[in-house]
Amino acid sequence: MKKRNNRIVLLTALCVAAGAVSQAQVLGGGHVSGNVQLDGQISKADSVIGSTNVAEKLLSNMRADVLYTNGAISAGLRIEGYLNPMLGFDAKYKGVGVANYFVSYQRERLSITAGNFYEQFGNGMILRAYEDRYLGMDNALRGLSVTGRPVNGVTLKGVIGKQRCYWDYGRGLVRGLDGEVSFNSLIKSLEGSKFHATVGAGFVSKYEEDETVNAEQPGYKLNLPLNVGAGSVRMDLGYGGFSLQAEYARKGQDPSIMNSYIYRPGEALMVNATYSQRGFSANVQAKRVDNMSFKSVRSESGQMLYINYIPAITKQHTYAFLSMFPYATQATGEMGLQGDVMYKFKKGTALGGKYGTDLHINSAIITGLDTTRVGGAGTYGYNSKWLKCGDLYYGDVTVEVAKKLSSAVKLTATYGYQVFNPEVDGHIGNLHHNNVVVCDLTWKVNKKNVLRFEGEWLGSDSKYGEKFMVGGVETENHDRRCGDWLMGLVEYNFLSKWFVSVSDQYAYRDGIGNYYNVSLGYNYGATRLQIGYGKQREGLLCIGGVCRQVPASNGLTFSLTTSF
Amino acid sequence: MKRILLTLVCLALAGIATAQNTVPQNVTIKAMDGTSVQTSVIQNDGKPIIISFWATWCKPCNRELNAIKEVYENWQKETGVKLVAVSIDDARSATRVKPHADGNEWDYEIYLDQNQDFKRAMNVVNVPHTFVVNGKGEIVWQHTSYVDGQEEELYEVVKKVAAGEPIEEAAE
Repeated sequence: MKKRNNRIVLLTALCVAAGAVSQAQVLGGGHVSGNVQLDGQISKADSVIGSTNVAEKLLSNMRADVLYTNGAISAGLRIEGYLNPMLGFDAKYKGVGVANYFVSYQRERLSITAGNFYEQFGNGMILRAYEDRYLGMDNALRGLSVTGRPVNGVTLKGVIGKQRCYWDYGRGLVRGLDGEVSFNSLIKSLEGSKFHATVGAGFVSKYEEDETVNAEQPGYKLNLPLNVGAGSVRMDLGYGGFSLQAEYARKGQDPSIMNSYIYRPGEALMVNATYSQRGFSANVQAKRVDNMSFKSVRSESGQMLYINYIPAITKQHTYAFLSMFPYATQATGEMGLQGDVMYKFKKGTALGGKYGTDLHINSAIITGLDTTRVGGAGTYGYNSKWLKCGDLYYGDVTVEVAKKLSSAVKLTATYGYQVFNPEVDGHIGNLHHNNVVVCDLTWKVNKKNVLRFEGEWLGSDSKYGEKFMVGGVETENHDRRCGDWLMGLVEYNFLSKWFVSVSDQYAYRDGIGNYYNVSLGYNYGATRLQIGYGKQREGLLCIGGVCRQVPASNGLTFSLTTSF
Repeated sequence: MKRILLTLVCLALAGIATAQNTVPQNVTIKAMDGTSVQTSVIQNDGKPIIISFWATWCKPCNRELNAIKEVYENWQKETGVKLVAVSIDDARSATRVKPHADGNEWDYEIYLDQNQDFKRAMNVVNVPHTFVVNGKGEIVWQHTSYVDGQEEELYEVVKKVAAGEPIEEAAE
């Protein structure tokens, strides 16, 4: 059934594309563009890092997007293949097929898309259909999306569809409406003014058939709501260098596997305040999320079928040891505060030196909610106090100094302190307290040759193999990220197109593992090829606070991307 | 088998495209004051435009935009080029785009592409991905990734475009 559907879809899409092409010849325009990605992996067993033999020997993911555009009309097709899915990607992805197709008409006042589409209302707290190929995450809506801009400054959106779930579509029906008014475009006299204001509101409703779910109380079955609504209001105000953004969202009763089938309504608030001028900026963000996991299928417990998106507000670290214990958003409940300051010491000042110095400080703290249990499935679940924090989930402070030492040498030095609650991502043990130091030095040898050195240290009070009592059972901590670590990396970019890098991460105390990596790459225009050999630690790959568990691997990897 | 064949047909279709790729005009992005605008606002009076896709968390993107900052005034004087920096930051860090750009003293025209519509329309897979667009809105050169010093290569292209000379390393 599925196979036949796919074939019909493919043929239809092809006919549409062919039709469009032939019409384009008549109209004398239009063009085709696209991109292709191919990733592959060979991995062998290694008991120290926890990797296992891959039965297929070679795993590969591939993807090609083809886009046809002719004036206001565009049509696209995406072919995905997972033969078989690479480590960390769900086995349900196995296969090849057309994963996405659409036809779209876009004019200044009106846009219509039929087929698969991506959309976001405000910050996405009630609706965000998006994809991230590295997370193996795609919750595109398949249906219809209409956007109207009746007058300058006013945007109205309507969407209806079902969400992608691997090669299938979830049975839940998602409908949404959103409106936004930007006063600076609407009111002529405000154009170019120092003051700016945008307000918006959205509503999303999900419909799902009834099913049998038992209540906590024996003999009772839940009376499930078939329609679940969520709404939000938002604003963005600014004056000169100051700006303030806020969004408040509320969700109706939505018992699901994510909240253990409780009937408590959900709510979320996000506030951001910023001041910035040339060479200085400061920004504070706060959020409170309570029972806001919103999926189009109530029994889906994995990473798919999310209708909304609750962004993490911690900084997205990129250095290996700073991102070893990444923070994942807890849509079921959390509170957080984040602050960020950037300052540029001017050239010619004592701290600025000849080239100027950049200072960047960031800090975040995330806690759970302070809750009192009322009951299990079929009840209100819990009560929570609005301004009272629960358990500490995550905290960090990072100080980064970037300085050009000469016309050819640049140094970035970073110090980070992190507190991490291992239970948040399914591990055991006490809070980890980590200190991280990173030195990143770039030396431009000449016009076509650049060397980069990176040295990192992580000191932690966590220990691999330490024993803890979990539910009355003595359990060993098998989180391979624990312990004290050292890392070195040398990267050489030559002839402006090639690069080779060698790195090693070594647990020198209380930890386990020695992760070496060699990689060779080639960049030309919009084409990039990379081949690597080495060991990859098991861990979480996080993008935007959404994470994917990646198992350890030991062997060869390659990746090719190109756009045309 | 049939599928593979169809895939090949699709790729062949792509191959026969002869028309020069232009920057799509009707994709919605957000300006720094929170207003939604169409990509047709990306204009530079017939002079070259650099469109750079970046994100606050992307180290090479920041290195590239910071390196260009040092020479941007000269580039503008000599060629009239304008750099348009399109951030793909999502709700997690989108509010930090303006303070990030101000803190780094960037004088670029900056837009937010939170829903990644523009990114998809331009076939951007990874950031940084930089395009050079000529006065007619045609994409004449593109490049992904950044290594220190590569901004000089980019400027060679911009100078040629400003002078109306052909680019050997055409858009692939």
